[in-house]
Amino acid sequence: MPDRPEIVGRLETVFQDTFDDPALRIHDAMTAADLDDWDSLQHIVLVLAVEREFGVKLNPAEVGKLENVGKMVDLLLEKTARV
Amino acid sequence: MPASPVRENGAAAGSSLKATLAQVRQATATGAHRHALSLLLAELAPETDYVDLARHAKALDRIDLAACGLRPLRVALLASHTLEHFAPVLRLFLAQAGFAATITLAPFDTVAASVLDPDSALYRARPDVVWLFATQRDLPLALPPGAGAADRDAAIAAAIADRRALWDRLRESAGCLVLDTLVELPAEDPFGNLAGAAPWGRRALLRRYDAALAEAALTGVVLFDLDHVAAVYGRRRWDDARWWFHSRHAFAIDASGLVAHAASRLLAGARGLAKKCLVLDLDNTLWGGVIGDDGLAGIRLGAGADGEAFVAFQLYVRALKERGVILAACSKNDAETAASVFRDHPDSVLRFEDFAVFVANWDNKADNLRDIARRLNLGLDALVFVDDNPMERDIVRRHLPEVAVVDLPEDPSGYVTALAAPGWFEAAAFSAEDAERSRYYADNAAREAVRSRFVDMGAYLHSLEMVATVGGADPFHLPRMAQLIGKSNQFHLTGTRYGEAELAALAARPDVTVRHIRLADRFGDNGLIACLLLRHDGGDLVVDTWVMSCRVLGRSVEAFTVGLIRDIARAEGCGRMVGRYVRSAKNGLVADLYQRFGFTQANETDWVFDLAAPTDGWTTWIQRAPAPDLPHA
Repeated sequence: MPDRPEIVGRLETVFQDTFDDPALRIHDAMTAADLDDWDSLQHIVLVLAVEREFGVKLNPAEVGKLENVGKMVDLLLEKTARV
Repeated sequence: MPASPVRENGAAAGSSLKATLAQVRQATATGAHRHALSLLLAELAPETDYVDLARHAKALDRIDLAACGLRPLRVALLASHTLEHFAPVLRLFLAQAGFAATITLAPFDTVAASVLDPDSALYRARPDVVWLFATQRDLPLALPPGAGAADRDAAIAAAIADRRALWDRLRESAGCLVLDTLVELPAEDPFGNLAGAAPWGRRALLRRYDAALAEAALTGVVLFDLDHVAAVYGRRRWDDARWWFHSRHAFAIDASGLVAHAASRLLAGARGLAKKCLVLDLDNTLWGGVIGDDGLAGIRLGAGADGEAFVAFQLYVRALKERGVILAACSKNDAETAASVFRDHPDSVLRFEDFAVFVANWDNKADNLRDIARRLNLGLDALVFVDDNPMERDIVRRHLPEVAVVDLPEDPSGYVTALAAPGWFEAAAFSAEDAERSRYYADNAAREAVRSRFVDMGAYLHSLEMVATVGGADPFHLPRMAQLIGKSNQFHLTGTRYGEAELAALAARPDVTVRHIRLADRFGDNGLIACLLLRHDGGDLVVDTWVMSCRVLGRSVEAFTVGLIRDIARAEGCGRMVGRYVRSAKNGLVADLYQRFGFTQANETDWVFDLAAPTDGWTTWIQRAPAPDLPHA
């Protein structure tokens, strides 16, 4: 079962690949407002990429709750603990 | 859900894609756009998941597609479901099909408003293609259980009438190709099996709607079979309800590649970019074993499990031939030994005569493919190469990147799917000419054989006893004319692309003359081989469009055609002919055409010929057949 730092590290790689920026760093308070490219379409790509990386599936309510990076990490901790 | 397999697959695909994208970025940065594009497209498969497709699409955005020689295409998408994610994927697969696409999306759920308002953004974008991307979710078709046939027929007729109203308006206002959708069946229904079995059931209604739409389709309307794509993908996976609830995505986001690929191949077919010739290896491709070693009795064909698989593959290949795909054989073999299978093997479905060109020798296949293309007068980009040997495929890929190569699996029972899935031969329509095409090319090979006996070109052309028939844009020839204008690249003086609807509208104008030329000779009918669109401008007759099929190059059709233009100019009372040549990446062949016939260059594009001038060098060996009645003489 992955711990928080491992999840943050893997999530950062997902962000870098999705936004095509190898220098991108993530932090818990980061939201769509902090990244120019983070629009509704890229949000879907991000969710799909996260699902693929962590082997989980999010339901529509969970997708709606992912307003910042910290929430994403919380949800992934919870989800990966379950599988 | 098991977590690890998903992650492992994703990670493996991801790392290889990462390396490719880095190479693509580097190639793009150094201006090597063609190289960047071929690297990017080599990794692209319809089944690629959306995350990777999105990364492909980002890389494509940086590549200059016009510099890669792709054909511009403006596509407008109209839908009442979310397609923002789909547009970049469609652009990707359209690039693979040969188009530099500009895609516009009408605002969400404004289909009827966009089509009916002549000032809408849709028309301002001047689209070449308008895709009415409907899904079953758009169709309110529903009947109370137990409803009768009259109610059902009325509901279907009303739904079809709605579509026809959109088509009519689009064809009038935009003169573009209309792509409408055969909607998919939903995976689930409260009535279960009965939804398909009862005449009032939802699935029964949707099937009937799709069938009625196919019958209602008019010239200039092409139907995209979305239901087939959904079925191939798997209906339960397709109906991914969570993205519908989240953001009105009507089908699984990971099915985007499959949909975009199928639509792109269809548009390639509609715009003349479908492949034309299937080049087949023989040993272990059309039969099991090696004919030179195993002999006629030893090869596996017919009896036995894999013998049956080879027969099934031959049946599929023959069906392609019957719908107009030209067949060629390319085998490392002794020619007589190889041909004996098609002449003497009782279970061979394909016969020797089915091949327009039969090449069996020990030369390398890249050279042989070049030779086949030359003998059939086709570009290398018209060929699809099928070979069971991965080394031969690799050689062809490396030396002839224009040739499409099919990766056959080891098991011959997978051959048909491997050949069918890439959709190389998709067509928007089927005409009588298509069925005859193979014969035209086989006849051409016979002409080539005769030509080699003649030293004197004039004597050879005389011996062909060529007769041309000239006609207008009648309903029979109109689709074929639009097809020829759409697909001609080399012998196309101005690069115009007129769809059927546009061509019909132009032909009806008093200041425009549209003509087609058919050519027959003693070896057979060549079908429709040239088209002209002439505009009358004061005392000038301007050659707006002149296209000719390259399979009749060097047969003095050019001289016949220029004579025809002169006759029309005289009949219309014009004093001059103005020939136009607009250079493109592919039409260097005709750069000096007007010069050859004594036209004088007036400016960058225009060449002038005074009708009083002498017509030296206009010799043609073609007789004109008595004219049929023309609707617009």
